[in-house]
Amino acid sequence: MAAAIVTQGLTKTYLDVWNKAEIVAVDHLDLQVEEGEIFGFLGRNGAGKTTTIKMLLGLIFPSAGTGTVLGKPLGDIEAKSRVSYLPENPYFYESMSGWDVLDFYARLFRLREPERSQRVQKALEEVRLDPKAWKRPLRGYSKGMLQRIGVAQALINDPQLLFLDEPTSGLDPIAHAELRDIIANVGRQGKTVFLSSHQLPDVELVCSRVAIIHRGKLLATGKIGELTAGEKVEIRADGVRNGVIKQIEDLVGPVEHSDGRLRIPSVDEEKVSDLIDLVRSVKGRILAVVPHKRTLEEVFVDVVMKEGVA
Amino acid sequence: MVTMAIAKQTLEDMLRRKVLLILLIVAVAMIALGPSVGFLSPRESSAVLRSLGLAVILIAGLLITILAGIQVIPTEIERRTIYTVLSKPVQRYEFVLGKFLGGLFTVFVMIAAMGIVFLGVLFYQEKHPAPEMIMGVVMTFFQMMLLGAMAIFFSTFATPVVNFFLSFGIFIVGNMSVVTESLTKNPNPGTRIVAMIVHVLLPNFGNFNIQNKLIHPEVQITNENVFIIQNIVYAIIYSAALLIGAIIVFDRREV
Repeated sequence: MAAAIVTQGLTKTYLDVWNKAEIVAVDHLDLQVEEGEIFGFLGRNGAGKTTTIKMLLGLIFPSAGTGTVLGKPLGDIEAKSRVSYLPENPYFYESMSGWDVLDFYARLFRLREPERSQRVQKALEEVRLDPKAWKRPLRGYSKGMLQRIGVAQALINDPQLLFLDEPTSGLDPIAHAELRDIIANVGRQGKTVFLSSHQLPDVELVCSRVAIIHRGKLLATGKIGELTAGEKVEIRADGVRNGVIKQIEDLVGPVEHSDGRLRIPSVDEEKVSDLIDLVRSVKGRILAVVPHKRTLEEVFVDVVMKEGVA
Repeated sequence: MVTMAIAKQTLEDMLRRKVLLILLIVAVAMIALGPSVGFLSPRESSAVLRSLGLAVILIAGLLITILAGIQVIPTEIERRTIYTVLSKPVQRYEFVLGKFLGGLFTVFVMIAAMGIVFLGVLFYQEKHPAPEMIMGVVMTFFQMMLLGAMAIFFSTFATPVVNFFLSFGIFIVGNMSVVTESLTKNPNPGTRIVAMIVHVLLPNFGNFNIQNKLIHPEVQITNENVFIIQNIVYAIIYSAALLIGAIIVFDRREV
């Protein structure tokens, strides 16, 4: 599988208002996003997520480091024809109708009629915008409807790679869930999605891999399953005689037991084998070994707290 | 195609700006009320109407051009609509040219509207058409084209407020080209050098004012057609140079 995005030592620094101190917005970022994956890019406000996306799109220029998008240098026009971007809290030309705004964006991709109109209609249908609103000025749209227009303009060129910056921020729960479904659907079509978000439950639902960035530095990256997998397991057993409980408690600490039933809420992985041997030595039965799983939010907080919160 | 799409969107956006529409309405009303200045003799009244009409078109055109020119690019950055435009396969020069052309079309539509009303009122007053006045309106348009290119150039690096004063100030100084030209012959070498720099570098807006000839036909300009064509070519070349400068600056600008 080819890489959709690669960055090597990507760095962005700004000077403060006195032009003296350097503010590092993105610090030697090494990242690789494979084609076809929905990649979550996580970080607190000001972590450097939007700055990274803007560098990848050629809107701002790196202070150091390099990168490629769809195999082309950052800001390459040919790559941009296969890429799309939904900025955070997007604003569109409010006097134009939803249809006209999408028609304008389609023209920027040099699409001609009748293909242009077909693409506009398809994008509006894909984001499930009420057809009655298609020809109404955007100034009368709700936040959720505007966000749908934002996603629609990002789909107008049938992109290979979508950059979505906080696409669900500020939406009501229904609009939020619908938009999350739209993003998941885009991913099912084989497109690569680079999703920058604070909505960790959403990321956990739709993304296959994530990266956590803090103060411009990449702190962790990996598959969600690997990052959220715990190092402890819960064990439940039956037919365990009282005689062996003391030995088990010596091995793993206090346990819950009654009438031969045993529950050990948290066992270190390396002790699981010895514990199972002990239970079996008294003809007991292992009912379940359940690995502990952390939420992405717990992983995120852990990773960021270890680095120090400022 | 991309440049024209941006120009069309800019024109539509500008034509919905209330401040520009109000300026247009006030200007049209002033021109239309010209004939009501009834206390003058018919000859004086005609000269006043011609003078008033061209002056109103110039002042309204000036304000419309500056307001449009200083806003078209910064508004895109302020509203952040520029992110969704420049993240598409749009070259930065296409964006700058599209914005300039959109602003220019706006100025054209507004000056044309004022010009048509002006010629209509003049016909009503003088009972015969005055096609020679069209050239006065055309020259005002080219003067505004040059001013608009300058405002676009400044808007690639200056804030709208700074741009307003810069563009307006240079327009005033550029209109005093007769003064700056005379200062180039000043005995003081310092004054002479400064005057030379100002006179050569700043656009010569004064040459576009052909009102005197139009209002007072007895004033003669030798080779008038050559004079007009020279000024139009000057406006086009100077505007092109300013736009190249704007593209170079904007190409390196972070948004």
